[in-house]
Amino acid sequence: MVSRWMYISLVILYGFLLGPFVIIFMAGFGANANLAFPPQGFTLDWFANVFETAQFIDSFWISLQLGLSSTIVSLIMGMPVAYALVRYQFSASGMVETIFSAPILVPGLVIGFAMLNFFVLLGDMSVLTGLFIGHTAILFPYSVRVISASLRNLDPYVEDAAVSLGANRLRGFLLVVLPNMQAGIAAAFVLGFITSFNNVPVSLFLSGPGVTTLPVSMLSYLEYYFDPTIAAVSTLLVIFTVVLVQAAERLLGLSQFV
Amino acid sequence: MIRRPNQNRTIILLVAPACVFVLVFFVLPLIFLLSQSVLPEEGGFTLTGYRDFFESRVSRIVYLRTLKLGVIVTVICVVIGYPAAFVLARMPARRRSFLMSLVILPLMTNAVARTFAWLIILGKRGMINQTLLSLDLIENPVRFMFSETAIVLGLAQLFLPLMVLPLVSALENIPEDVLEAARNLGANRLTTFVRIVVPLSSDGLVLGATLVFTGSVTAFVTPAILGGPRLLLMSTLLRQKVVTLFDLHAAAVVAVVMILTTLAVNLLLRVFRVQQS
Repeated sequence: MVSRWMYISLVILYGFLLGPFVIIFMAGFGANANLAFPPQGFTLDWFANVFETAQFIDSFWISLQLGLSSTIVSLIMGMPVAYALVRYQFSASGMVETIFSAPILVPGLVIGFAMLNFFVLLGDMSVLTGLFIGHTAILFPYSVRVISASLRNLDPYVEDAAVSLGANRLRGFLLVVLPNMQAGIAAAFVLGFITSFNNVPVSLFLSGPGVTTLPVSMLSYLEYYFDPTIAAVSTLLVIFTVVLVQAAERLLGLSQFV
Repeated sequence: MIRRPNQNRTIILLVAPACVFVLVFFVLPLIFLLSQSVLPEEGGFTLTGYRDFFESRVSRIVYLRTLKLGVIVTVICVVIGYPAAFVLARMPARRRSFLMSLVILPLMTNAVARTFAWLIILGKRGMINQTLLSLDLIENPVRFMFSETAIVLGLAQLFLPLMVLPLVSALENIPEDVLEAARNLGANRLTTFVRIVVPLSSDGLVLGATLVFTGSVTAFVTPAILGGPRLLLMSTLLRQKVVTLFDLHAAAVVAVVMILTTLAVNLLLRVFRVQQS
């Protein structure tokens, strides 16, 4: 059934998906400043430039803090929801599921715009708080889904055994369920962090003086400068992501949840 | 299972904090956005914002262009993704999981980085122009950037994984025996593909197409970098209304049209799924 021309489509797929990365790596190490192809010579100047540009360093820290805090909060609040959906049958469960998948259905740019209007312009909230709220909201669908999948793999009787042996429900959850969900929680954490860390649309309108996320500051850099510094940042980010995902994959088998 | 007293109270306690968060911090701003699109600053309820949007030639062109490019990107992703997913689904597990991780990797890298490569490929002194120049096929660099083609290429590269992943999981579930049976009963490859493979993987196809289409019509980074300020899509139009013109009423209208478009597509998907089952 698999014929030769189908293998050609595989070559096109991977050429299309991975070719851009090869080009970014080449441009990041190339010496010409005008993005001409092929790059001439070899230099690390563009990487040096990344670390000398305050805009990138500052926004990296903001993205890192934002990614960690919104992921943790969405997990802490999403976990009980996942638990309720998997362990109990209740009439409103369909509605609850709809509420928590809503942030996926609304375009990110629109979410960011709505947050700007309502919280920053009308409510006089700080841009950073707006960013935190927006990112936490868009991570709920991921946390609830991944944690639910992980809970479904866990035999409910294990927990019931703990309760019948005298633990209360909360103790049963903390001492029996939680340790058995480590892999799922870690997978949800990595997935959530990467989603927040890479997000542009939600963050676009929510930036103020000195407060921007890394991808948005990369975008605004591109509007003023046309040199390979962005290729260098991108190369660093790809390495960062691959290390993160590989570590998660080795430790926990991330791919079973994606 | 053990009888659980006060079940309703427990459920409410578990679900309430996150529900309140989503309702207050997510749904409420969207309701405000909706009200903003029908209540201009002068006061009073009016639908003139929507009338203006659909009567303006510029925004009509932008809207139709957005939908058109969304369709083209979806078709390209199906044409490349379907046969590729089929090959992937029939591979031995080890090799497949390695190749699948290469499909997922781009999804984990930010869109700015992935779109930047196209500047180097399509730019005035980019890969394609330099190649054509050195082969003497052209005398002056051709402008590929800031074109619909550039946006389509960028979007297709961005969203191909979202087509391949659901297709592979749908195609994996087709037993080899079924394909063999079709062959033994005399069907050639094309017939088998059209009459057996496509119907059995339609779930994955429809899901992939929905993800790619809604992603394409709402993507911001790609049209911002590869389309520029003159070739607007809905997302870049929204940014222009907010940042350049500071017309929040008109921007809210654009935003609501974007939401309604993605909701309509997702609703169609749901109808299709119900019909299937």
